[in-house]
Amino acid sequence: MPDLRLSDLSVTPAGARRPVVDRVDLDVPAGQRVLLVGPSGAGKSTVLRALAGLLEDDVDARGEVLLGGRPARPGEVGLLLQDPLDTVVAATAGRDTAFGPENAGLPREEVWRRVAQAHAAAHHVAGRDRDVATLSGGERQRLALAGALAVQPSVLLLDEPTSMLDAPTAARVREAVLRAAAGRTLVVVDHDLAGWAPHVDRVLVLGRGGLLVADGAPADVLAGSRALPADGLWLPGAPAPRPVDVPAGLLAPQLAVPGAATGDALLTGRGLGLVRRRRGLRPAPPATVLHGVDVALPAGRSTAFTGPSGSGKSSLLAVLAGLARPTGELTAAPGLAGGLPPQPWRWRSRELAARLAWVPQFPEHTFVRATVREEVAATPLALGCPGARGEQLLELLGLAHRADVNPFRLSGGEQRRLALAGALAAGPAVLLADEPSVGQDRGTWAVVAGLLAAAAREGVAVGVSTHDERLLRVLDGPVVALRGGTRVAGVAA
Amino acid sequence: MSRDGTPAAVPSGVPSGVHRTVHTPVDEAVEKPVDGAGEAGAAVDGPVDAGVPPTPAQLRSAAPGPPVRSCGPLSLLAVSLLCALGALAVDDWQQAAVALLVQLLCLPLVVGRGASPGRRLVPLAVAALSVGWSTVLAGDSDEPLRTAATAALRLVVLVLPGVLLLGWLDPGEAGDHLAQRLRLPGRVVVAAVAALGQLATLAQVWDQVAAARRVRGLGAGRSPLSRARWAASTAFGLLVDAVRRAGRTAVAMDARGFAAAGVDAPRSWALPAPWRRADSVLLAAGALVAAVPLLVRLLG
Amino acid sequence: MSTTLTRSSSPGRWRTVDLVTAAVLGVAFGVVFWGWAVVYAALSPVFAVLAPLSGLLGGVWLLPAVVGALVVRRPGAALLAELVAASVEALLGSHWGVGVLVSGAVQGLGVEIAVAVFAWKRWGVGVAVLGGVVAAVLEGVYELFAYFAGTWTLGFQVLYVACFALSGALVAGVGGWALVRALARAGALGAFGAGRELHRRG
Repeated sequence: MPDLRLSDLSVTPAGARRPVVDRVDLDVPAGQRVLLVGPSGAGKSTVLRALAGLLEDDVDARGEVLLGGRPARPGEVGLLLQDPLDTVVAATAGRDTAFGPENAGLPREEVWRRVAQAHAAAHHVAGRDRDVATLSGGERQRLALAGALAVQPSVLLLDEPTSMLDAPTAARVREAVLRAAAGRTLVVVDHDLAGWAPHVDRVLVLGRGGLLVADGAPADVLAGSRALPADGLWLPGAPAPRPVDVPAGLLAPQLAVPGAATGDALLTGRGLGLVRRRRGLRPAPPATVLHGVDVALPAGRSTAFTGPSGSGKSSLLAVLAGLARPTGELTAAPGLAGGLPPQPWRWRSRELAARLAWVPQFPEHTFVRATVREEVAATPLALGCPGARGEQLLELLGLAHRADVNPFRLSGGEQRRLALAGALAAGPAVLLADEPSVGQDRGTWAVVAGLLAAAAREGVAVGVSTHDERLLRVLDGPVVALRGGTRVAGVAA
Repeated sequence: MSRDGTPAAVPSGVPSGVHRTVHTPVDEAVEKPVDGAGEAGAAVDGPVDAGVPPTPAQLRSAAPGPPVRSCGPLSLLAVSLLCALGALAVDDWQQAAVALLVQLLCLPLVVGRGASPGRRLVPLAVAALSVGWSTVLAGDSDEPLRTAATAALRLVVLVLPGVLLLGWLDPGEAGDHLAQRLRLPGRVVVAAVAALGQLATLAQVWDQVAAARRVRGLGAGRSPLSRARWAASTAFGLLVDAVRRAGRTAVAMDARGFAAAGVDAPRSWALPAPWRRADSVLLAAGALVAAVPLLVRLLG
Repeated sequence: MSTTLTRSSSPGRWRTVDLVTAAVLGVAFGVVFWGWAVVYAALSPVFAVLAPLSGLLGGVWLLPAVVGALVVRRPGAALLAELVAASVEALLGSHWGVGVLVSGAVQGLGVEIAVAVFAWKRWGVGVAVLGGVVAAVLEGVYELFAYFAGTWTLGFQVLYVACFALSGALVAGVGGWALVRALARAGALGAFGAGRELHRRG
């Protein structure tokens, strides 16, 4: 089996002055398992794509990657990406896995032999005839793994393969990856240092500026963690950062809700249900995503919504935000509704925006303006009450220096923070945030956690869906645990 | 049931179009499906089925449904086009009526269990009415109502077969046939099929963008102008996502050798694209139906 | 630039990202057309009085072809994007049945003609407008012939095509060009010429 060798890699994106990856040399002996970590924006994915020979041809890339002393042939290096939704190319699981063998021009019988082998190796047990649209997140990622294995690569590269999954599912996918990687060279990029470290031979740390700052056995690298960028990595065992202080009054609701003493519910749901209808022609069976959920969102508290992916957290948040019409009874307190009908889904856009805010789970495509500054000002302007809150929020969230940038150009973590700033800028009385702490490093996590806690202190009714144990401890409010669309007792992980 | 407790996906008589999982606004807020008990049993190796699986048309044949379910994409497309072409011969409402009657007589062959044409026909009705009405308004005729009826019926004759037949078209299967039978460039066909597979995801993105705008006070207003502006800015959010997504999908495809497909060896196809007897029957019958307007015109 | 790090591309062969972007743009516009149908329905009563003016709304249907051409900049990109968008409509059940596929081909070809006139070298607002106009005229004539059976008076027919062409020039041409620029500003077109030109200027 050949060794993988990357020599003197420097990559400068089009239009950028400084390289994202700066003179990185990397020798990976055949069969070694390597974990590559670093703060967001350190160029980890760029290194991985260079190893796969798949950098865009518009970047300025110098250096060379060789497999066994020669350029890799197509299919010799397999690559698994973060979001398995982007990897799917066909309608059924089997046909999707067949894509690589088809590209290689293999005969039909051999194609399907490869598919069967790859499904077994990747633990894709949903079957080859399964409609890919019905796969769960974990099943999808295992199918993506099968797709990579079907071309029988000797090197397997993984770009944050578990970051979109909840912890138990991530663990199962990791197990499938590690089994499938037996006898292959493996290079993994992931934030989950604790999850991967026990299973790899070597940990590489990329620092800000794209330089390699640490390289060694997992135990050695973690022991020398003082040398590592402290706010950039979630090291195993390190304590949660302290939420930052937020100036008093910054997050006070613009709409004074009369009679809403701390603890009164601003939104109350009884027997909430939501049936997912299929928009399309052929009626697929509608799926019940929420069923009989009782919930109250008290002013001045942070209510946490927990449960595995698919348990209905996001749907419940969207229902509370007046974005979908549920069955059952959803009522806003008279003080909040202020003369409007009590059901938020009946409110008009501006009426809704004057009362509540919602931060979607994937905010990357929901921006409404062409610069960060305008983005934060958009809702206050639409409501006719511009103010300085937005600028202050940008400052707090570390986005002030990016104020003139197009929101779509921000990094994932920055976009999430901007969405939070945009939601808070108009001073809502209710804040509903869907997984707000995902993708933040220690520094920005402390700001997000601080803002959520401060909003509750100012009397906002905060609702947060999260997997993040650290955030749950900071919020310190009622917990609504969901499973399969219904409320269950206790705190579900 | 498959062994992980989830229902095994047995494609039913319903053709698996691109609209399988297109959801209503915010219905699941892009939540991934349940990763629950199903994952628990995943550590067991299942029996592997290594043969070449049946084609979508063979699967449809095995399930109940109207006879047309056994047809492949090329005959469906060809007959749809032929019928549209045939309708161009209509120049009187009686010809159109006869042609429509013949088409309606063939209806049981095309619709039945597993295919509900109702909602597909709504746009057709709207189109027919608008064509008829505009002909009354803009027409150049001594008998405006008669001309309008002709134009509206002619449109129904032109559109109806395609609307019903294309409901049976499976994009992936169409790709196989276009590339293997009609020899269209393989990579183009595969890219188009992969893109069509993203329809459900992109529709969800649209819903997300629309929801975010609503909650931020930028929802669609009442006036047509504000609606148009709303549609334009929502569309922009969707397009940004689409182009980004396309870039990531292209990387994933190239990682599986798509860039070099067909360079050294011709790209192969996991499933064959057979022209079956049902296709010949449909083509013959369809050609006859398509010729009805012309025949009535010549005979009448 | 190293050949082992980047995806191999030869000038004649479409890169994967070209193919997939053109096709996914087509699908995205297929989704946009649903949204547009809502607006269209809201506006149609306006045109109950003077039917040929409905051509003013037609430019929207030409956007996939113009945007596909301006983003990907290869012969055939407009056709691919427009045909995929039309396929989405056809699969979902369009007003015009299989006719929508013919429309897709006609509109795509219209834009292809315009970019071919400039030998696939110019991608500015002028080409976009020309593409919109050619596509609109072809599509307008096709619709009058196929759907309206040539029953309108000549004056109304000319008015319809003129309205369509105006809409093609403004909505599809100028609008499509502006859309591509906005996409480039949003950093979505890094892999394409339109995105790179922005960097060179900025």
